[in-house]
Amino acid sequence: MLQLEDVKLNYGSFRALDGINLSVREGELVVMLGANGAGKSSMFLAISGLRKLSGGKVRLAGTDITRASPNTIVSRGLVQCPEGRKLFASMSVERNLMLGGYVHRADKAGLKTRLEEIYEMFPILREKRDDHAGSLSGGQQQMVAIGRALMGRPKLLLLDEPSLGLAPLVVRQVLDTIKSINAGGTTVLLAEQNAYAALQIADRGYVMESGRVVLEGSREELLNNETVRRAYIGG
Amino acid sequence: MNIFFQQVLNGLTLGSVYSLVALGLTLVYGILHIPNFAHGAFYMVGAYISFYLAGSFGLNFWLAMLCSAAAVAVLAMLSERLIFHPLRNAPALHDMIAAIGLLLFLEAVVQAIWGADFHRLPAPYTQILRFADLTAPAQRILIIVAAFILMIGLQIFLRRTTTGSTIVAMAQNREGAALVGIDPVKVSLLTFAISGALAAVAATLFAPINLIFPAMGHLVILKAFVIIILGGMGSIPGAIVGGMIIGFAEAFGAFYISPAYKDIIAFALLVIILSLRPQGLFPSEVR
Repeated sequence: MLQLEDVKLNYGSFRALDGINLSVREGELVVMLGANGAGKSSMFLAISGLRKLSGGKVRLAGTDITRASPNTIVSRGLVQCPEGRKLFASMSVERNLMLGGYVHRADKAGLKTRLEEIYEMFPILREKRDDHAGSLSGGQQQMVAIGRALMGRPKLLLLDEPSLGLAPLVVRQVLDTIKSINAGGTTVLLAEQNAYAALQIADRGYVMESGRVVLEGSREELLNNETVRRAYIGG
Repeated sequence: MNIFFQQVLNGLTLGSVYSLVALGLTLVYGILHIPNFAHGAFYMVGAYISFYLAGSFGLNFWLAMLCSAAAVAVLAMLSERLIFHPLRNAPALHDMIAAIGLLLFLEAVVQAIWGADFHRLPAPYTQILRFADLTAPAQRILIIVAAFILMIGLQIFLRRTTTGSTIVAMAQNREGAALVGIDPVKVSLLTFAISGALAAVAATLFAPINLIFPAMGHLVILKAFVIIILGGMGSIPGAIVGGMIIGFAEAFGAFYISPAYKDIIAFALLVIILSLRPQGLFPSEVR
């Protein structure tokens, strides 16, 4: 479903991505592990078309989207829930969610149904539908961000550090939700520092360091890998 | 009582015009972070187009205003595409220089066509309205009512419609907006179009009780900047409230202090309010 071929990204003279190769197959839940600054967010922003690549190719379902604009990429079914959530803070929760379905705005009935599904997934958001998104707690804001991305009806959902800054119990909840979104048929690429928790729900994973993929493997392989255990799990 | 009421009316009239101009300026600032000095020229061009259409073609005031709003909207979109868009990755100073360049260019064009003389747009309604012992010229009431209808309409458009929400979304979080599939090019064009149309409407409404000349935009744009700095850069309520504050201060200052100090009052108020509230009155309404 998604292929990255030798993807390179420079910020001035700094090479943020140094020849990334990876693929995500339809229906998979793939996790991207790596410390802060390893290049996970840069890679995600590049996939979504928000950063111009210095080299390489990105393909979505066989189509080259390397030079496509972010809005084209979203309408092709690749939606990202970004790091830091990037919500519309002084808009209501419901308006944030509805804007998530912006590319499907012609299908009003479909958006309403989808909104109901999101409210069923996150009942607290229904209660807070009229509150400013910026006034919610971190965990609730994360729900809005995930909900907003789901309103775009992704075929492939990119989630960048959804557990960042959340309490352990909420992290569990968010990851369970991601697992159930994946079980519902959405392909997921998840970037996480919380390696142990993320690997629990993933099919496969990659490990990034300084802009390169240094390791890849199935969940079991990564969970049992000595380097992963030492660097990211701590045991 | 009547004298006091006259000043309230003057304050509302001035405030309405200033608010409309400041709204366009703050919308563009909120989206692109460009201090668009050329906005004063959009205002001036708007007045000339209405004057030309009403004078040379005998077009009805409202029709002239509508055509002028459409023409200035197109002019504003063209300037976004041809001038500001190519500069989007350049340092902010380049935008400012380009905006001043555009202001001077448009003034030169208008002067070449219509000359440097003063003109006046005939007032469509010359009646004096009476309420008990209060009197009010119809044109002033017209300015106030039209401005309020436009401001309410704009609020509804921005808050309640999907297209309007894209403008607010992009002002609040540019990357967030891109990630839900909002096209920044469309939003920028739409914002410039609205901004230009508002300037043209404000200028046309004000023209029958004011003079039309090539430099007429200077003082208005300076005051509009005072207003959006006061109200908080990018804030929509801030532009409306700020416009009213400056309008009232001028009207009352001109009457109770001296008409000679009318234009200084706006800037004195800016200094006073910013020393008390450096963040402006509504710092984070839109962003």
